[in-house]
Amino acid sequence: MRTETATRPAPFRPAILRAVPALGVGAALVALALTLTNDFHLYVAFMAGVYYLCASGMNVLAGYAGQKSLGQAGLFAAGAYTVALLTTRLEVSPVLALAAAPIVAAGVGVLIALPSLRVKGPSLALVTLAFGLVVEKLVTEWTDLFGGAQGVYGIAPLEFQGEPFALRHWVVLVIVLAVATHLLLGHLLNGRFGRALLALQSDEIAAECAGISVYRYKILAFVVAAALCGLGGALVAQQNQYFNSDFVTFHLSVFILLLVLLGGAGNLYGPIAGAAILTATEVFLAQWPSVQHFIYGSMLLFALYLMPTGVAGTIARVLPRKAVAEPVVTGAPLTLSRTTDDPAGGPLLEMRDIAKAFGGVVTADKVGLRLHAHRVHALIGPNGAGKSTLINILTGVIPADSGSIRLAGEDITRASAHSRADRGIARTFQNLRLFGAMTVLDNVLVGAHARIGATGREAEAVAKAAAVLEFVGLAEHAQALAGSLPYGLQRRVELARALAGDPVLLLLDEPAAGLNPRETAELGQLIKRIGRLGVAVLMVEHDMGLVMGISDEIVVLDRGIVIAEGTPREIQTNPRVIEAYLGREEAPADDEADGKEEERAC
Amino acid sequence: MLQAIIGGLTLGSVYALIALGFNLTYTTTRTLNFAQGDFVSVGAFVGLGTVGVLTAALGADAVGYVWFYALAAVAAALAMGVLGLPLYLAAIRPFAGKPGMSWVVSTIGFGIVLQSAALSLWGLGARMLAPPFGDEVFRVGEVGFRSQELVVMALAFAILGGFDIAMRRTALGRCMRAVALNRDAAALMGIDVPRVMALAFLASSALAGLSGVLVAPILSASLFMGVIIALKGFSAAIIGGLTNPRGCMAGGLLIGLVESLTALWSAQWREIMVFLLVILVLAMAPNGMFGRKLVEKV
Repeated sequence: MRTETATRPAPFRPAILRAVPALGVGAALVALALTLTNDFHLYVAFMAGVYYLCASGMNVLAGYAGQKSLGQAGLFAAGAYTVALLTTRLEVSPVLALAAAPIVAAGVGVLIALPSLRVKGPSLALVTLAFGLVVEKLVTEWTDLFGGAQGVYGIAPLEFQGEPFALRHWVVLVIVLAVATHLLLGHLLNGRFGRALLALQSDEIAAECAGISVYRYKILAFVVAAALCGLGGALVAQQNQYFNSDFVTFHLSVFILLLVLLGGAGNLYGPIAGAAILTATEVFLAQWPSVQHFIYGSMLLFALYLMPTGVAGTIARVLPRKAVAEPVVTGAPLTLSRTTDDPAGGPLLEMRDIAKAFGGVVTADKVGLRLHAHRVHALIGPNGAGKSTLINILTGVIPADSGSIRLAGEDITRASAHSRADRGIARTFQNLRLFGAMTVLDNVLVGAHARIGATGREAEAVAKAAAVLEFVGLAEHAQALAGSLPYGLQRRVELARALAGDPVLLLLDEPAAGLNPRETAELGQLIKRIGRLGVAVLMVEHDMGLVMGISDEIVVLDRGIVIAEGTPREIQTNPRVIEAYLGREEAPADDEADGKEEERAC
Repeated sequence: MLQAIIGGLTLGSVYALIALGFNLTYTTTRTLNFAQGDFVSVGAFVGLGTVGVLTAALGADAVGYVWFYALAAVAAALAMGVLGLPLYLAAIRPFAGKPGMSWVVSTIGFGIVLQSAALSLWGLGARMLAPPFGDEVFRVGEVGFRSQELVVMALAFAILGGFDIAMRRTALGRCMRAVALNRDAAALMGIDVPRVMALAFLASSALAGLSGVLVAPILSASLFMGVIIALKGFSAAIIGGLTNPRGCMAGGLLIGLVESLTALWSAQWREIMVFLLVILVLAMAPNGMFGRKLVEKV
C-alpha cells in the first residue's frame, strides 16, 4: 500500500529529543492505567496493547515492505505455545520464557518467509494463509504436545515481589513494551531500513539496482513482524495462564491485517490508530451482540473507500503540514569519494565473450566491452540489437549464459545486482522506475543505501544527497513526491538516484527518451560533467545528435554482435554501421536514425 | 481406494467451480472475492429454503423432489449472482485497478455483513439437505458410491466444460478474455469494461452459490461451512494458475484428490496436507502449475 504522506520528522534532531513525546504519552498512559480499578477496563487496555504490538510488526511487513500476510495467527501461536510449553513442560522461568517467545516466533517467521519470497499478491496471501491454517490444524490435532482444544493450563506468569502479576501490572508492562517498540521502529523506519522497505515495495528491480538486497530485507521484515506477533501471543498466554487452539484462527490473522490497513499502512502511527479504534469498536459493539458483526462488517466494507490511507493517513492529511520545504542544506560541490581511475594495466570494466539467448533469439553473441574511467561511452544500434540486454547483464538484472565481467580487476560475473551496485555500478532505466510515492530526497537517499552503511550516518547522507540534487539542478524539488514531478524532471531524479551511490560506472538506458530538444541539450551537458567527475559512463541512446556530441567512444551493436567501435568521427563513416542502420541498398536517407527497425535488403 | 478417488473428484469438482469463479474475477479485475465462502454457505441455505418452501407448498414425493432440488440450485445461483452486483459496486469498483489490496478488506467486510444477515435469518445450526436421488449406495463391483457424488460430478463437469466453450466461442467470452489480457486496449475497442467486470462478479458469485447447493447434501450445511471450501477453491485456483481457467479446474481436482486420499490414512491431517501441498507447489512454481510466467521488461 502506498502512502502519500511521508511522515518523516526532521532527521537532524537528536534521537533523545525525538523520543520525548512518545515517552511522555507512555508515562501518561501508565499513570492513567494505575488509576483504573475496573478489571474489565484493565483487560481492554491490555488487549489494546497486545494488538498494538502485533500490528506494529505487521505494519513493517505489510505497510512498509508491502507483503500482505494472512498467517499472523500462526506466529501469534508460536509465541504463545513457546511460553506455554517452556513454563509447563520444562519449568523454565517465566521471564526467560517470555524472552524466548519472540525469538522462537522469529525463527518460524523465517520459515514462512522462505516460500513467500518468490510469490506476490494473491499467491503471497495464500502461502501465508496456508501457513496459518497448517499451524491452526497442528495445534488443534496434535493434542499430545499442544493440548488441542483442551489447551495448556498452568502457564507460569511473570511475578512482582513474589506475587503473580496482577492485571494492572500486565497493563503497565504492555505500555512499556509498546512505547519501546514504537521508539525502536520509529528509529529504524525513519531511516535507511524504512526507506529500503518502501523502495522494494514500490519497485523491486529498482531497489535491487540501488544496492538493496531485496531478499534480505524481505526476510528481515518477516522476522520483525513474527517476533512482535509472537511477543503478543506470549503475553496473552501468560496473562491468561492458559492457552488453547481456539485462539489460533484465520479470523485472528485477518484481524491483525485489518489493524494495519484500517489504522494506516506504511504510517508509523497507523498501528496505534488501528489498535485503538478496533479495540474500542469491539467493546462498544459488545453491547448489541445482534448487530455487532453487521456493523463491524460494514465498517470494513466502507472504511478504506472513505479513508484510502487509513485513519492515521487521513488525520495526517487533515492536519496542517509542517513547513513543507525544510530547505535542504547544500554543502560543498559534489565530489565522488571512490577512487575513480582505471586500475593499473586495464580498463575499469572489461566484459568478455558475453553471450545470452532468450529461447532461440540471440541478443548477445560473444560481446566484449572495455569501459574507461573519466570517459563517456555510447552504445548504439538498431532496435532489437541487444543494447538493453547488455545493460541488464552488466547490472546483474539478467544473468549471462556465458562469458565474464571484471570490474576494476575483480570478477563480478556471478555477483548479485545489489552487490554490483554496492561496488559502484549504478544505472537508470529505459522506462522510468522511480519510487513515485517517496520524496525526491528519499529517492536519492535510497540510491545511497549501500554507502550509508548499517550504522546510519544519516546526516552525512542527507548532505551528500543535497549535493547530488544541486548538481543535477533539482535542489528546489527535494521535498516533492517524485511521482508528482513532470516527466523531464523525473528522468533527472533517476539520474540523481544513480549518482548518490558514488558510482564508478554509470549506465544510462536511453536517458534522452521523451525529452524535448532543450532538455536533451541540458542532459548532454550534465552527462559530460558526470564524466569529468571521474565516472565511466555508458549510455544507450537513439538520439544521434546527443551521442555524437558528447561521446568519447562509441560501440555499435547489431543483432547481438559488436560491429564497430571508435570515436564518433570513425563511426559516422563506418560502412558496416551505415549498413546496419540503413540497409545495404540505397534507402531513403534518414539522418535522424531514430532507431526504427529498417527494412533490410538482404 | 477407488471410492476415495471418486469422493475426491467429487469434492474437487466443486473446488474447481469455485476456483473458476476466482479466475473470472481475477483476470478481469485483478481482484478476488475474499467473501466467496459466505456466498457458498448462503447459497446452500437459499437452496435449503427453496426446497423447504416448495415441499411445503406442493407436498413431497421422490420424483418431485428431483425438480425441487434442481430449482433450488437455480435459485441459489440466481440469488448469489444478483448479490454479486452489490459486492462489485461496494467492495470492488472503488479499488479495482489501484495499487494495494484494499479489496481484501472490503470483500471480507461484505462477507461479514452477508453472514450476519444470514445468521439472523437462519440461525447457527447445521442442517441436512436431502440428496435428489436418495441416499442409497450404488455398487459397481466392489466399489460403492452415492448418487449425489455422481450428480455433483456430472453437473460440475458440464458447467466447467460449458464455461470453457463459452469463453472461447461466444462474443461475451471473447470480451472477457480481451479485458483479461489488456483492459485499456479492450476499452479502446469499445468494450464496456465495467460491465464485463460486473458480469465476472455475477458469474463468480453464482458459481459459489451453486457450489453451496451441490455440496450441501454431502457435507451438512451450516453458515460456517463455506470458509474452508472457498479456501480450498482459492488454493486450487492459485496452484493451478490463477490466470488459466483450465489450470484452475485441474487444481481443484488435485486438491480434492489429495484431501480424500489423505483422509484414507488420517482424517485430521487432510487440511494440513492440502495446505502444505499449496506451500510446496508455490515454492517451486510461483505462478502455479499452469500459470503463465509474467516476464517483466526492464
